[in-house]
Amino acid sequence: MSSVLTSRNVADVLGGITNGVIYSLVALSLVLVWRSTRILNFAQGAMAMIAAYIGFAVLAPSTNYWVSMAVAIIAGLALGGLTERVIVRGLYGKPEINPVVAMVGFLLVLESVAAAIWSTTSRGLPTPFSIVDWQINHKPVALSPFALYEIVTAVVVMTVIALLFQFTKLGLKLRAAALAPEVSRLLGVRVGRMLTLGWMLSSGVGAVTAVLVASNYFTGLTPTTMDGVFAFGFIAAAIGGLDSPVGALVSGVSLGIILQFVGDYLNSNDIILVALGMLIVSLMVRPNGVFTRSAQRRV
Amino acid sequence: MGARWNQRVVAGTAVGVAAVLASWLGVGTARAATALSIAAVVLVVGLVLVSSSEFRRDHPVIARAAISLVAVDVSLVVTGFFSSTVDSNLAIGAAMSIVLLGLSFLTGSSGQISIGNGAFMGVGAFTVAIWANHHAATPIAVVLILAVVAGALVGLLLGLPATRLRGPYLAGMTLAFAVAFGAVLNLFSTWTGGDSGLQLPSAVNAPAWLVHFFRSGTSSLTTNSVWLVDVTIVTAGIALFFMANLFASRTGRAMRLVRDNDVAAELVGISLPRARVIAFVVSAAYAALGGGLWTLINNAVTPATYGFALSITILSLVVIGGIGTIPGALIGGLIYAFAASVIAWFTAHTGLNPQGNVASQLNGIIFGGLLVLTILFAPTGIAGFVRRRWASWRSR
Repeated sequence: MSSVLTSRNVADVLGGITNGVIYSLVALSLVLVWRSTRILNFAQGAMAMIAAYIGFAVLAPSTNYWVSMAVAIIAGLALGGLTERVIVRGLYGKPEINPVVAMVGFLLVLESVAAAIWSTTSRGLPTPFSIVDWQINHKPVALSPFALYEIVTAVVVMTVIALLFQFTKLGLKLRAAALAPEVSRLLGVRVGRMLTLGWMLSSGVGAVTAVLVASNYFTGLTPTTMDGVFAFGFIAAAIGGLDSPVGALVSGVSLGIILQFVGDYLNSNDIILVALGMLIVSLMVRPNGVFTRSAQRRV
Repeated sequence: MGARWNQRVVAGTAVGVAAVLASWLGVGTARAATALSIAAVVLVVGLVLVSSSEFRRDHPVIARAAISLVAVDVSLVVTGFFSSTVDSNLAIGAAMSIVLLGLSFLTGSSGQISIGNGAFMGVGAFTVAIWANHHAATPIAVVLILAVVAGALVGLLLGLPATRLRGPYLAGMTLAFAVAFGAVLNLFSTWTGGDSGLQLPSAVNAPAWLVHFFRSGTSSLTTNSVWLVDVTIVTAGIALFFMANLFASRTGRAMRLVRDNDVAAELVGISLPRARVIAFVVSAAYAALGGGLWTLINNAVTPATYGFALSITILSLVVIGGIGTIPGALIGGLIYAFAASVIAWFTAHTGLNPQGNVASQLNGIIFGGLLVLTILFAPTGIAGFVRRRWASWRSR
């Protein structure tokens, strides 16, 4: 039994899940915004990175991890709301390339501003739990307390979002505003506020993701920490379907596991190539994602 | 062809003769004077032709050729008066404007978007470098055509899945390509030279007749490497001519209908996938041509140049210049040529530490900020803004 747990394949699966939940979180963050405002937020990673910097670079290094995390989340929520009010508001109803361009520009601004303030030097974030793998019979299992914390956090975030959307009145309003804005407005839902709230939630999820990424990965926190993660998260979201939160979760974790095997059995250079290939094939077969039921588009 | 036409011809001939006389009297060597005279005659004839609206209507292709020729003519003469630093900046910008023409066509005509054109540039850049390392004797024109072909092929490869995608999905896919491009290069590292890239085997030498003809008399420009400025400008002129025709052609009109109303386009018999693939391939081929020229100008190529950041820069230049317009692409190229100098000047005059964090990030902050502001407040960019002002000024 113990030899199975420490085997190469199990290690790949565990490592894959640890990476995959991160992709799932990024994908979820993208889906939240896409569903409510039909905008693909290319600045998602950069906004999350800013939130992480605010939590961990503005405060003194000695600040308690959980306080910093809370500050990062609050910063993320605020940044998301601010972005929707200031930039995104002017993009509704415009040709669909306008939001893409605007968000790419915003990405550039955020990364440059972060580098101007905090420099491009990487900074390591504190970890609340050990990053050393557990051992069975003196052999490492590919799972550390920190990795477990990462997975648990992701599950908690996803559960909170799911509960909010499915079982609260606010969630109902959020879904109504996204699916039928005109009708919801007639029924007294403040649609504008709901869209802002959707962006806040998305950006809050992003903040948690960025903090996890920056303390787990070798890169630490840099202005471009989230670039690669964003690319994988987008690939997961596009494969799963930008309309489907469940698709985001499933394809994120699957992508993580598959890429872990690719990195282990082929080499690390091939990871992004395989991901790109999967994206292309998946988009050719199902352009609206694997988990999206209807492929209808408004004419 | 009425009285106004005759007036123009007379006025043009007079100016042309004056210019030829002036260049013979004012310039030292006979060769330089010949060059300047030819330039002046081309300029005058071109302008006379183009200034007539009847001519533009009756012979649109010749008129476009004349405009391209005048643009090349003026640029070539003007580069003779600048320092070699300014000239090589201009060449870099001219190559960039070729790339921008391609993206402008893709986005402005067919309504698709690509955040991966930096990688397509890289395809062209590496094609030129790899070919030159194996067949050093190949003429530059052939190498550049190879770069265009390579870019078109890669564009086709990515364009086929792109036919079924709309806006944001396509943008995301091209973004993933831009991010993965470095890994693609690594995959063929025996050819591409891995992280350090490739050097061209020897500086590309100018044919002797060209050096003698154009550059005698302007001492700073007789060095062999700077003649590439002229090659770039001429290439950009040819690219401009083709693109102007493409914009106005049946294909170009079909693309604009695809952009504005794809359902209507299908109803009138336009094949959507075909239109989208063509637009994508054209934009990739133009990007590759620009990248190939960069390799020639820089005499080397590194993978780091063709990263994700370049793709974003390309997108911002197109949008700021004016999406879907030819002048917009040229404005974008000019901006790119001088952005670094302007920012350096700004840094020097505001007392910012040039090695500091803020100074090194000014480029991104300004371009990103302009990109957001442009799309929010003037989505048609500089070209669209000027055109609107011009129209309202004329109608007054």
